[in-house]
Amino acid sequence: MTGLLTAGSALWMATPARVQAEVSDADFKALQETVAKLADEVQSLRQTNQVVQQIHEQDQVQLQQLQQKLAETQQTANDAQQKAVAVATAQTQPLPRVPLDEATVNHNFMMLGDAEMQFVKPNQGNGSFYMADFAPIFLYRGGDNILFEAGFDTTLSNNNNPNTNPPNQGAGYTTTFNLSFAQLDYVMTDYMTFCAGYMLLPLGTYTERGAGWLNKLPDNPLPVDELIPGAGAGVQLRGGVPLGETGKIFNYSVYGVNGVSSSDTTGNAGSLDLNGNVGPNLHQDPAGGGRLGIFMPYKPHYDLELGISGMSGQWDNAGNHIWTAGVFDAALHLGSSIEAKGEYIHTQFGSDQGNVAQDGWWTQVGYKLAGLNLEFPGINNLELIGRFDSVHGGYNQTDNLYNYSTRRYTVGYVYYITSAFLFEGDYEFLHSNDPSQVNQLILQLSYGF
Amino acid sequence: MNKPPLLFRSSLLVAGVCLLRIAFPCTAGAAPGDTNAAVISATAPAPASPVLEHKLSGAELYSIHCNRCHPERYPTERTAAQWKTIMLHMQVRAGIPGEQSRRILKYLQENSGR
Ligand code: HEC
Repeated sequence: MTGLLTAGSALWMATPARVQAEVSDADFKALQETVAKLADEVQSLRQTNQVVQQIHEQDQVQLQQLQQKLAETQQTANDAQQKAVAVATAQTQPLPRVPLDEATVNHNFMMLGDAEMQFVKPNQGNGSFYMADFAPIFLYRGGDNILFEAGFDTTLSNNNNPNTNPPNQGAGYTTTFNLSFAQLDYVMTDYMTFCAGYMLLPLGTYTERGAGWLNKLPDNPLPVDELIPGAGAGVQLRGGVPLGETGKIFNYSVYGVNGVSSSDTTGNAGSLDLNGNVGPNLHQDPAGGGRLGIFMPYKPHYDLELGISGMSGQWDNAGNHIWTAGVFDAALHLGSSIEAKGEYIHTQFGSDQGNVAQDGWWTQVGYKLAGLNLEFPGINNLELIGRFDSVHGGYNQTDNLYNYSTRRYTVGYVYYITSAFLFEGDYEFLHSNDPSQVNQLILQLSYGF
Repeated sequence: MNKPPLLFRSSLLVAGVCLLRIAFPCTAGAAPGDTNAAVISATAPAPASPVLEHKLSGAELYSIHCNRCHPERYPTERTAAQWKTIMLHMQVRAGIPGEQSRRILKYLQENSGR
């Protein structure tokens, strides 16, 4: 550009001498125009140059900014990398064991429960395998003091049953899925919980503590099954109050439930139905009941628990007759290997045939052989169990007599594969005026999960 | 036949009302005697004999309660959050007072599986 400019002005300076001599006006004009054009061109080139210069400067500024940004990005990347390394190092080291922050785990759902497989061989009967029970329990906790709990029993049975009268004929099998309890617990204070729903009844303690893996023998005590209801639909207040600082607890519960009922609306003694009245209530008034108990630990694994409980209410649809039960329960632990427990149950009810009274009791003793401190393999996992149970009185529909009487002696064992996986076995000796009650052998695998 | 059960029922009701009176005055705040007991256990060392004469720790309460109805279930079997749910279940089922239940829960959570 500067070269062009210099050439232009040189031309301008060099020409005049010769112009005067030999250049015509026209030529001079043409030359003038050319020069003017060149000057314009030079001018526009100058401007272009300026613009290009400006752009260049802007580029320079932008370049600087970009370089700065790049540096910053590199710094961030470095920081991130350092942080990642720090996190990775922290993760490879064990975290301190702190309880989960309860603010983050305010609701929780769980499934627990147990499952039982049995082999039963009654005297002179067929040896049978049973999927005896699959009993899931669902727990849903909302916050600190609300719990919903529901337990089910799932059992299988043949459609073809030769033991019914007349024998049932049919192919295939039936799955029974029963709700055993479904209750909402609201812990109102440290000492009182309100419960509502279909509740296991604290009539004695066995019913509330009878889940498969808790029970050291495969079947329930006779009087528990035959004399009292297992659950009831209603509401309950229950809790425990500490007595001093040594672990003694006073326990109580009071409840109102629909209560026992009549299977055929009448007040006939034989129609008493212990477990049917889940709603609507078949008689006018709900039944009431409760338990008072005391738990006295002397030191860990040495304790005594005593309780007295009762329940009473109308049972026939007309509400003419009252059914009442009273239960006394006791449980004793002497060290980690000796346990003794039992219940005495008395029930009575008015009926169109007059008063009917029944009573029964059971007692069970367990001894864990670990208490012997022997070295034989497996012996420390073994517990020996003895149980005696009996039921007397009651109404026998067949011969219209109040004479039912059964005594049962059971010897058995529990082999603890783990603390909640049990292999149990027992032999039951029966003395009864009911011919369907016979001696039998039961083996059971029980798993609490 | 009707009379004794009615009597029985009304005595239950009376018992229930008494219980309500026992339970409700204590509702506000922590269990009564809590702070005193803490002071005692802090100043007086636990007696050497395992006989229960001092304020019980979570571990002691765990060994008193958690294998009397069923074989012991170990803290490592569940997570801290699961123990909170199970402990509420056991508190209601076994009638364990709230303050003792919290001490057991703390012990279970501190030794829980994760
Ligand atoms: C009053 C008796 C009783 C006491 C005391 C008791 N439990 Fe339980 N526990 C039960 C019963 C009954 C079940 C079975 C579940 C059910 O029926 O809802 C159970 C179930 C469990 C389960 C569920 C496992 C399963 O397989 O179903 C765990 C875990 C458990 N208990 C832990 C404890 C702990 C920890 C303690 C100590 C605070 C404790 N229990 C004290 C009665 C008791």
